[in-house]
Amino acid sequence: MIWRFLLAILLGGLCYLDRTAACQLMLHRPLVVATLMGAVFGNMAAGAQVGVVLELIFLARLPVGASIPPDDTGAAVFGGSAAAIASSSIGLDPGSFTALLLLSVVVAEAGKTADRFVRKVNVRIARLTAESVDRGDMQAVEHGLLAGLTLFAVTGMVLALVFSGAGVAVSMELLPRFGPASRGNFAILLPALPLLGAASVYSCSRTERTAAVFFLTMAAVFGGTVLFRWSA
Amino acid sequence: MTMPALATRSRSAVWRRQFLLQGCWNYEGMQNVGFAYSILPALRDFYANRPEEALKAVKRHLEFFNTQPAMGALILGASVRLEERVAAGETDPRAIGTFKVGLMGSLGAIGDSFFWGALRPMASVAGALLALFHPLLGIAALLLIYNGVHLTVRRRGFAAGMEGPEGAVGWLKRAALNVRTDDRKLLAAILAGAYAGVFAGRFLVQGGGAPHALASLLLAAAAVHLFVVLFRKAVSPSEVLLFLLIVGVLILWR
Repeated sequence: MIWRFLLAILLGGLCYLDRTAACQLMLHRPLVVATLMGAVFGNMAAGAQVGVVLELIFLARLPVGASIPPDDTGAAVFGGSAAAIASSSIGLDPGSFTALLLLSVVVAEAGKTADRFVRKVNVRIARLTAESVDRGDMQAVEHGLLAGLTLFAVTGMVLALVFSGAGVAVSMELLPRFGPASRGNFAILLPALPLLGAASVYSCSRTERTAAVFFLTMAAVFGGTVLFRWSA
Repeated sequence: MTMPALATRSRSAVWRRQFLLQGCWNYEGMQNVGFAYSILPALRDFYANRPEEALKAVKRHLEFFNTQPAMGALILGASVRLEERVAAGETDPRAIGTFKVGLMGSLGAIGDSFFWGALRPMASVAGALLALFHPLLGIAALLLIYNGVHLTVRRRGFAAGMEGPEGAVGWLKRAALNVRTDDRKLLAAILAGAYAGVFAGRFLVQGGGAPHALASLLLAAAAVHLFVVLFRKAVSPSEVLLFLLIVGVLILWR
């Protein structure tokens, strides 16, 4: 298990760097991160299942100006690792799946707080950089940036360790405490989650033209899916 | 004074460094350290034997700066060209600050709307839909759709900026990002409709006939509409999830 956590820390750290500090190539998106974490903890498909739903849920909060959206990367680290472990122990039934998705909101908010903290510490780094430049040290800019990057990377690695650890603990300790019947009751909330994701995208892309298109496509695909299920 | 030359190596270094624009993002100067870091190789070339002026130039770029990171490439390229003119004594150094401040807000708004409001949702929902067939297919789609456009905007924006502020403005007009934003929003809405349809069809219809299916569709559409109304009233997805979590706990309690 130790090497799995080491790999989670390494990959999680890289994904967290992509989130703000470097590149923004979307390696930090929940679909990517949850699938990776699923693979690290033994079941890529289970991680991807969580990633598919988490990918869209938080899209309505845009990283505009100084506003920081919930940490969906952290939510995916938690959800992906937890789903993989749950699938190999109690099984990833709809109830467990729903519980993991809902618990990920706590992780997303905790990650957001950590992100705020890093950016506050960076204020100090930026001030020190400006002071050094005032004293005639041009290289301080490079050192300042390296310090900021290191802080983002280390925080990302710590968060990846904590969140994947939390995911494993929830799947090994918390979920088995509830019987299949209790978990089944929880599954009643499951249909709301993908719909919340779709609403998130729809609210981002809402223009005069899109409302009718969204609901017409929804009805057509819904009809197709139901007919396919009836005929199968 | 003759125009100081920008070495090809320095130009490449500035291009690479733009990817770390947010490396030291902070609440005070925001992307200021990242911008100064990105433009530093060019400043070293332009002020090779003038350390005092080089320091002044670095300080200019440590002023507050914030824009959408991909659109920052355009401002960075144009700032390099302006610094070249300042170093040659052709332009007042204050023109750089005015140019950056004038452009960062509007480019930030255009970039936020295009990248975060249209392209990313479109790539995300396309990836999520394809991941239903195979996770790796979904990931590939998400990364290719987003980065195909993202890296192109960075490359072309930087090149246009390097032609000077005039080139930057000309490219912005030609790129017509507002039209592209609307097109991508439409595509995102279509794909999000398909996503909602697939999941509603899977989870809500567990049996029963056509009336039950129709009721399920109407219920799903009403749920989406309710969530959108809540978002408009500044309720965040996290708050909705938290509410559902509390409902779930109450169900378990019962």
